[in-house]
Amino acid sequence: MERQDKAQDAWVVGGHRFSSRLLMGTGKFQDAETMVRAVLASRAQIVTVALRRVGRIPREDDMLGPLGELKGITLMPNTSGARNASEAIRAARLGRELCGSPFVKVEIHPNPHHLMPDPIETFEAAKILAAEGFVVMPYMPADPVLAKRLEDVGCASLMPLGSAIGSGRGLATVEMLRLILRDARIPVIVDAGLRSPSEAAAALEMGCDAVLVNSAVAAAGDPVAMAAAFAQAVKAGRDAHRAGLMPQGGGTALATSPLTAFLSEEGQ
Amino acid sequence: MKLIVNGEAYEAKRHESVSALLEEMGIGGRPVVVVLNDEVIPSSSRSACGLREGDCVELFRLVGGG
Repeated sequence: MERQDKAQDAWVVGGHRFSSRLLMGTGKFQDAETMVRAVLASRAQIVTVALRRVGRIPREDDMLGPLGELKGITLMPNTSGARNASEAIRAARLGRELCGSPFVKVEIHPNPHHLMPDPIETFEAAKILAAEGFVVMPYMPADPVLAKRLEDVGCASLMPLGSAIGSGRGLATVEMLRLILRDARIPVIVDAGLRSPSEAAAALEMGCDAVLVNSAVAAAGDPVAMAAAFAQAVKAGRDAHRAGLMPQGGGTALATSPLTAFLSEEGQ
Repeated sequence: MKLIVNGEAYEAKRHESVSALLEEMGIGGRPVVVVLNDEVIPSSSRSACGLREGDCVELFRLVGGG
């Protein structure tokens, strides 16, 4: 039952406590400086990175060097590029060596056209990595049955997609997300597809524990300003969730002001 | 000494250790993870870990990703 700590509104994933409910990706930024400034503006505490082979000609532009110097940020390597469970497990072990962090975003999407996560390979990789002690955070289809299976094998969180990676199509899976939230006993993080801060706010309002964004910030007109906007939206959405939304009416209006005997009777 | 580095043939002049190879390749001191014949070599073991003819070396680094 690590869903939340109500006193401080911190949330706990894999035994690690965080206050920020916005996770940031580091891909697609035009340069390292913009990326670092955006991460700072987002106030994210979990930041995803990817793993690649070193080219034959060493590259001078170290995108991630400055990130490692920032305090209070946990680097979470992903397994992007893995086409199956065994490749993802290998990537996770390498990522742990490089980041010194037990966190791993298991990400297995064999089809480059839609980049939909492979549920079977994701499940297999998650099961093995969780048993090895990783804090496993699987990028997954918004499927409540799979969500329960992933929870049962020891995942630290669930990361269902809102819509396809980088598509900016928002919370297309909202009804499935509601079903996942209904039963989840571990944090639920909407990962992928978000475009606007209002979508992030909506995810938090409906009870998601956090959201992960990358393209929405990196491909924005002003990435640093957009990161700050997402930070505010996530906070507003979370605050609204805690405050409790009013009941939704049917098709009829319910007046907020007295309507009868306008001006002819004394107010009640 | 002939090695396979990241899937390609590589003629190493310095092969007394993994650390020496990284220096030769210009990536000494950079944050990379070294896999030697499918086994991760912790950074603390690199200077003591020697190389043999035909060894398969893979080098990975962190890049931006979502």
